[in-house]
Amino acid sequence: MEPFEVSLSLPVVAPLLDVVKELADGLKQTLASKPAVPESDAVFRDLWSQELLSAQNEDVTALLSLFNEEFFTEGVVAFDHTNAEAITRACSAIRLRLRERYLAALGDEALEIGEVELAQLDAQTRKAFMCYLFLATIQELIIQHLDESIIES
Amino acid sequence: MGDTKTHTLPSHQVTAQLQPESVWRVVVLNDPVNLMSYVVMIFKKVLGFDETTARRHMLEVHEQGRSVVWSGLREKAEAYTFTLQQWHLSAILESDGAV
Repeated sequence: MEPFEVSLSLPVVAPLLDVVKELADGLKQTLASKPAVPESDAVFRDLWSQELLSAQNEDVTALLSLFNEEFFTEGVVAFDHTNAEAITRACSAIRLRLRERYLAALGDEALEIGEVELAQLDAQTRKAFMCYLFLATIQELIIQHLDESIIES
Repeated sequence: MGDTKTHTLPSHQVTAQLQPESVWRVVVLNDPVNLMSYVVMIFKKVLGFDETTARRHMLEVHEQGRSVVWSGLREKAEAYTFTLQQWHLSAILESDGAV
């Protein structure tokens, strides 16, 4: 994958980072979704979950490191082969948590097709939904660079 | 010249029966959060599917709520399940219960 940079609108994205950081903090301790562990042995189950949590933490750290000094001065974020997959997974983790924490009332169908009347949402839900869309956009940008054929088709 | 002793097998037959291994299925369940393009990418990357197969399984998950994406021995099925869960897909393991 060729490295690439994306210019983001600071006034739009910066407020969303509060939501991202808040949820990222919660993801340090718990998995974004409860995994179905295929084993009844408690030690094995703990190990399975701990490994997932450790991987999740690394991914979320990669996402947060996108929003560094360069981002806050120039509005630019950079992707390359060292961070792209981790960031895509972290976006998924935070989107799952957004749904659970803030967006459950919108209903799964509305979330799936993305058709939500923003004007009818309260401020907190609107911000969470904007964050949900922003992270999906990041994912699509990365997927497009990782595998063009997927987005084109 | 020494005695030649012959040994005979016991009259009953010993049969070794191999217990059939269970077939384990890796099943991906639908969720309303993960993008279709994301799921296709994961199926290609993790399971080695080509574009058409990945897309077919993604649509099966989306429309029928689940898709069996791999089946075989338990150890490998567990590894696939774990990796899919790392990508935050709802992956579960099912057995045909042969063992």
